[in-house]
Amino acid sequence: MEQNLQYFLIPFLSWEMMMLIWVGVFAGIWVGAIPGLSVTMAASLLISFTFSWDLNSALALICGVFVGGVYGGSITAILLNIPGAPAAIATGIEGYPLAQRGEAGKAIGLCTTVSVFASFVGIIVLSVAAPVIANFSLKFSPRDFFLLAVMGILLIGSIGGGDPIKGITAGAIGVLLSMVGMDPSTGELRYTFGNIYLMAGISFVTAMIGLFGVSEALTQFRNAGNKSPKQNLDRIIPDWATFLKYLPLSIRSSLLGVFIGALPGTGGDVAALLAYDQAKRTVRHPSRPFGTGAYEGIVAPETANKGAIGGAFIPMLTLGIPGDAVTAIIIGALYIHGLKPGPMLMIETPHLFWMIVSCLSIASVALMVLGLVSVKPFAKIIEIPKEIIMPVVIILSVIGTYAIQNSVVDIFYMIGFGIIGYFLRLYGYATGPMVLGLILGPMLDANYRRAMQGAENQLLPFIQGFVTNPISLFLTLSIVFLVVSQTSFYRRWRGLE
Amino acid sequence: MEKTREFSAEAAAGETAGTIKDLSKYVPEARRKPGELGMAAITFLLGALGYYFALDMTSGEYSSPSVFPKLASTLIMACSAFNFYKALRKEKREASVTLTGYLLPMDVVVVLVLLVAYCFILPRLHFVASSYAFMVIGMVYLQRGKNIIRALLISAVSLAVLVAVFRYLFLVILP
Repeated sequence: MEQNLQYFLIPFLSWEMMMLIWVGVFAGIWVGAIPGLSVTMAASLLISFTFSWDLNSALALICGVFVGGVYGGSITAILLNIPGAPAAIATGIEGYPLAQRGEAGKAIGLCTTVSVFASFVGIIVLSVAAPVIANFSLKFSPRDFFLLAVMGILLIGSIGGGDPIKGITAGAIGVLLSMVGMDPSTGELRYTFGNIYLMAGISFVTAMIGLFGVSEALTQFRNAGNKSPKQNLDRIIPDWATFLKYLPLSIRSSLLGVFIGALPGTGGDVAALLAYDQAKRTVRHPSRPFGTGAYEGIVAPETANKGAIGGAFIPMLTLGIPGDAVTAIIIGALYIHGLKPGPMLMIETPHLFWMIVSCLSIASVALMVLGLVSVKPFAKIIEIPKEIIMPVVIILSVIGTYAIQNSVVDIFYMIGFGIIGYFLRLYGYATGPMVLGLILGPMLDANYRRAMQGAENQLLPFIQGFVTNPISLFLTLSIVFLVVSQTSFYRRWRGLE
Repeated sequence: MEKTREFSAEAAAGETAGTIKDLSKYVPEARRKPGELGMAAITFLLGALGYYFALDMTSGEYSSPSVFPKLASTLIMACSAFNFYKALRKEKREASVTLTGYLLPMDVVVVLVLLVAYCFILPRLHFVASSYAFMVIGMVYLQRGKNIIRALLISAVSLAVLVAVFRYLFLVILP
């Protein structure tokens, strides 16, 4: 125990590590805020810098970037309705209406505070329950991941933005588009029409930048003449009463985030969407109705995607399985530095585990300071006239899209998705479900087919699996509950209507 | 109840200003939008084409690669048919609103043309020149020809910052 504490204190006693964490958080916030320039990309760029560094310094920088990057994605979602990353889609649904009301400062302030809280929840769970959660997450079968994706698809009702049937239409189009490319299990080409550019499929980040960024810019030009709202920046840091009011929701959503983040292959994006949906169903008296700027709709996804940071490290450090894309890159870094992540890592190199916990803790404190300091300059962005800001946003979207795989074709896709998104919005089809379909489509398809193959292509054993396996049964019942809780009968009974 | 009424008034005010729309409860619009039927028909066609091309994929088993494409296509067709039916039941659109006027106001058309032109000149002129031209023309047009010097300066400064940050600080390759 004493030795673990010593390991934990190493970054606190090293000025170099401390500085690198702060630099990482600062860089992460600004990189994460730009659509397309994801935290994954920032981490992978930094990895190349750190090959020649010693491991401690490399880890310090990467942990800082990870924490800052996940937070940065929410800033543009709140200010411009353009999520910096898929994990911030849900934040934009409530954050943007708040910015339109002149409450961007308050929204970002709350977002920062609860983010730091959730980061600590994730870190605490990581340090006390990592092996237990890691072993439990390994028990998830393809059928369970399929059920998890089905739960995700049910969120269309939450983020559909109005007409549920139009939301389902957009979601189904997203799923269909996610099928484009080479089928990963058989190698068969689907909807490629002989075009080599389509073989790799459609990147959901490209689609997201187009559907949110470019279509938002076009919609703004359509409403030319509307003045940008003046932002109230008097009170940015939420008071204790506000923090305590959202505390139960923050704890619930953070824990959900930790758990979802710990599942290999899922990450902050799925966690944030599930938490937003859960908040929408369970919060009885939101500050405003959901969809119009409810603070609860910012607290839930933000705490979930920050909780997922700690969660993502759990399978990585205990089993050598990445929880998400960034931890996959960190595994690469550990290998480069001669370490083998897996069950022996915590036994052979316990200092590494406690140092990561420590770096994440310092990064969370840095996030609190740097996040709150950045609120005013960030909030001022929204006051810039849209004739000036929107052309710059389009250029940023172009940089972000090109950076994904250095392809001009992706820019064409992005603008194409922007035009599609503009027309969809005009007729009341929300763009969120389409991105959700693009994200969850491959997860649905791959896990359904694996589960079906596991049942030897027999329908009855496949269905039986939903009730005979305890995890599948729990998830199936959760889905049934999610469906039932959308009915007006249930909402009246719970006093939600 | 009082709160709800207060909020409705607030939301209504926001809507008038063209900023916030209350999405918490779905209230169908009474009048059909120009082109709404066409939009439903286009999404139906997309679903039908999706299903048609899925017929070429391997099928026959519950785990075939064609299962999800067919499911998604069928869902699109079913929902589109429902959307078409709902749009048909609405009152006809206002005669004063034309389809092109609704879909493509002049500002949107100009920005779209600029975007397409930008895409085509980007591989030839590369990032700096084409982005500068896009920003300057866009800003000058959207400010109705006023503040040309300001647009030239803002575009130059923005571009310099973008290039410095992305190209030299983050080492991101620019188009």
